[in-house]
Amino acid sequence: MSETPTSADSFSGRDAFKRRGFRILGIGLQDVIRYFFGGNASLAIVLIILICFFLGREGIMFFPAHHEGLGSYRQAGQEFVDYMGEEIDAHTKFYSAANIAYFAEVNESSAIEDAQIATARAVLANVETITRKSWNLLERKIEEEVGLAKKVAGLAEGSPEIPEVQQMLETRRSEIEKLRVTLRAEVEAALESPDAWSTGGSDRGVGLTNIEKIREAVLFEAFPKAKEEHPFLLELKAASKTKKADTAARLIAFKTTLTEIQSAVKPLRTLHGELRKHATENRAVINSFKSAPQRRAALLAGAENVDDPAEKAKLQAEADEVVITEPDLVAMNAPLYAAVSKYAEVSLPLKAEMERLLQALPSTVSTESARENLDRSRSAYGSFKGVQKANRDRIPSWRHDLPVSWIKSFSAFLFGKQWITNSSWHDFYGLLPLLTGSLMISVIALIVAVPFSIAAAIYVNQLAPRREQEIVKPAIEFIGAIPSVVLGFFGILVLGEMLREVSQVEWLSWVPGFPMAERLTILNAGLLLAFMAVPTIFTLTEDALENVPSAFAENSFAMGASRLQTVFRVVLPTAASGLIAAVLLGFGRIIGETMVVLLVAGNKIKIPDFSEGFGVVTQPTHTMTGIIAQELGEVDGGSLHWRALFIVGMVLFVIALLVNYAAQQALKRFQKV
Amino acid sequence: MKNTLAIFAAAALLSGAQAEDKIVIKGSDTLGAKMVPQLAEAYKEAGNAATFEIAAEGSSVAFTSLLAGASDIGMSSRDIKKEETEEFTAKGLKIKEWVGGYDMIGIIVNAKNGLADITLKQIEGIFTGEIKDWSEVGGEAGPISVYTRNTSSGTYKSFQEMAMDKRDYGADTQKMAGNEQIAEEVAKNANGIGYVGLAYASKEGVKAISVDGVELKPENKSTYPIARTLFYYTVEGKTSPAAEKFLTWATTDDKAVEVVERVGFISFK
Repeated sequence: MSETPTSADSFSGRDAFKRRGFRILGIGLQDVIRYFFGGNASLAIVLIILICFFLGREGIMFFPAHHEGLGSYRQAGQEFVDYMGEEIDAHTKFYSAANIAYFAEVNESSAIEDAQIATARAVLANVETITRKSWNLLERKIEEEVGLAKKVAGLAEGSPEIPEVQQMLETRRSEIEKLRVTLRAEVEAALESPDAWSTGGSDRGVGLTNIEKIREAVLFEAFPKAKEEHPFLLELKAASKTKKADTAARLIAFKTTLTEIQSAVKPLRTLHGELRKHATENRAVINSFKSAPQRRAALLAGAENVDDPAEKAKLQAEADEVVITEPDLVAMNAPLYAAVSKYAEVSLPLKAEMERLLQALPSTVSTESARENLDRSRSAYGSFKGVQKANRDRIPSWRHDLPVSWIKSFSAFLFGKQWITNSSWHDFYGLLPLLTGSLMISVIALIVAVPFSIAAAIYVNQLAPRREQEIVKPAIEFIGAIPSVVLGFFGILVLGEMLREVSQVEWLSWVPGFPMAERLTILNAGLLLAFMAVPTIFTLTEDALENVPSAFAENSFAMGASRLQTVFRVVLPTAASGLIAAVLLGFGRIIGETMVVLLVAGNKIKIPDFSEGFGVVTQPTHTMTGIIAQELGEVDGGSLHWRALFIVGMVLFVIALLVNYAAQQALKRFQKV
Repeated sequence: MKNTLAIFAAAALLSGAQAEDKIVIKGSDTLGAKMVPQLAEAYKEAGNAATFEIAAEGSSVAFTSLLAGASDIGMSSRDIKKEETEEFTAKGLKIKEWVGGYDMIGIIVNAKNGLADITLKQIEGIFTGEIKDWSEVGGEAGPISVYTRNTSSGTYKSFQEMAMDKRDYGADTQKMAGNEQIAEEVAKNANGIGYVGLAYASKEGVKAISVDGVELKPENKSTYPIARTLFYYTVEGKTSPAAEKFLTWATTDDKAVEVVERVGFISFK
């Protein structure tokens, strides 16, 4: 400490401390430290550039490969065949809804009997679940007994082991007797417990008539395990059968119409089946042509790698056998072109027949469910007609050699409604189902998380006493430390189960989507993600409120405003852009989350059915993050599927980038205040 | 201090010794979840010194990891694809196939479901999404929830070939990570249906229904419509003697037969 400051002007930050003499090439220790920190900061930028480059390089190649795949899809005639397939699918939807309506009518007649049978079955299953441990024990003992009995029979007469084994056999037998008695008691006890009678709504409320008889029947069937059914159940079944038969007889016209609807499409089905087989072969030829050079190279490389001359010659010969001649697409597609006139032959009668059959469907039905399904069936008929109309144009004008436009190949990815991989027909990579899934979950999560976290932030920052602040703030921030896989487990086992139990409650059945069948749903995932987003939104909102200059609030108080008036009229509007940034970053947190959605969202790759209204949230879905986690591990590096996953990753990356950019813009506005 | 060092040294030595006999097995979840771990246990009990590392992630992994040299044995619930064989050929490697047993894929529904039998055609309809309601196959009305394995699974593919006429799964199917998860969801969902390996078909809360009138029982293996072979794969000439010895044991020994049957598969005999 020799260089103590002597005057005021030398007391700058630099000279306040002793400068060390350690220098190499003019770089001192302080410089090294400075470069180290600076290097760390710029490393982040380098990494981001690297990630962009890496994603871009792997992902961008998706588009040419995807384009080529769509080209093969067309060249092989699969596109042509799928036009007909679409028509058949639309027809199936129409038929299926009408069919469900028919069964709704038939089943309605025996609803009471069926509900009682269902109740008995449900209770029986519950009782078996409750007493399962003892059953297993009994079964094991019986197995042992059989084994011992066999052993006794197998032993030579007069063998010294006999008395011992005999003894063991006796013990087993008496144990079994005792177990039977306790089991009987257990079954009876189980029948008394409310758990046994929770039928999950399968009885639709009417099953609980004749409860005494059902109890008797269950007891009869549960113990000892009966080979035959209880007379009461047999009686119910017989009654149900007769009633169904009676109704079926009454609805014979309906049934005939249904059968006719089914058989009307048969000629088209046959044609489609033949062409499909043909197109599959075409595709195999095209694929093998495309991969031929690669295969040849593989065999040649293999020949180089082996030492045994015989083996080498064999591989060489195999390589020579790989043909690299272009397949004759015109000849290959000739049967498809020939099918155009056949299609016209089957399509016109189908159209006329279906119009007739649509009129033949009953106009009045007795049950609500049948009415709904008939309405669905009629609207499905509308889309069937649409497909037919489209097919009348596109089937004759289809050409296998038309190049696939790039716009089509981009839109097939961005707006494609199907994500089908590992298919024996053709892989479709449509982003839409995954994107909608991710967005739906995020929206739900935001709807739940935003009010909660902003309100909490306002309370903690503006209203709470300091003591409370010190408890609440760290508690909320701690949520962020919970590993997401733990939350996922919680979602499957606790939240999912709870949501479903609640949805079964009778008086809640007006809620859209209730009762829910699934545990793994959009709602479940959304709620969990909301929970995960709370710390992010809360902390950022709190910061934004904290950054409002205290003079604003003080002025407001000076004008005589109350605390709440100050909060809502002065502090919140000032912090508004900070709040927007908080919500955006919360959204970024949610859309990138993987583990929870993979475990809890239900993994159904389909655009949710919005016709259900708000009930749509009780459907399962799949997400962009989830699909990458689920499928990346198994695909071959460099394949189209692999690249498709990368491009999905790129879409996610771009979304995150945009959200962050928007958040920063919002914050900038805020800082100007 | 000296003591600690000695312990570290001993640990290093031990792990070194173990590494020599370590057998790495990767691939199918159907084999890797129960059968192979239990075979490994039985193998050790029979007095063989070996340590195992078993990872069950799906049949495709069996081949990618064998190719990368990351495993000694691949387990697969389907046979190797042509493209996969080519990849081995390209590296100058030859693949060897072992039959480890047979599996039947059970169609499971919720225990409370009244349905007892289903036809193969109906299964195709349900899993491709053509049939949407239980009343269409003779059950009580209710929308069907279909649970399938995910695309990396050998079962996903072999089910498609055996029961769905190679058609694609419907968009309404939910892809689960393993047999266990399918059984779990079907057990909780009264309208659920799914497919699982024989070993999982007797889980609590689910019941296997017969297909085309044939019950899911080992003795029906020749008549049951959805049955398949379980394979092990190795690379010829690159397999360690320990792995070779284990496989020979696992595909011939009587003890192995017992284990395979105990976990619910049909043995190779």
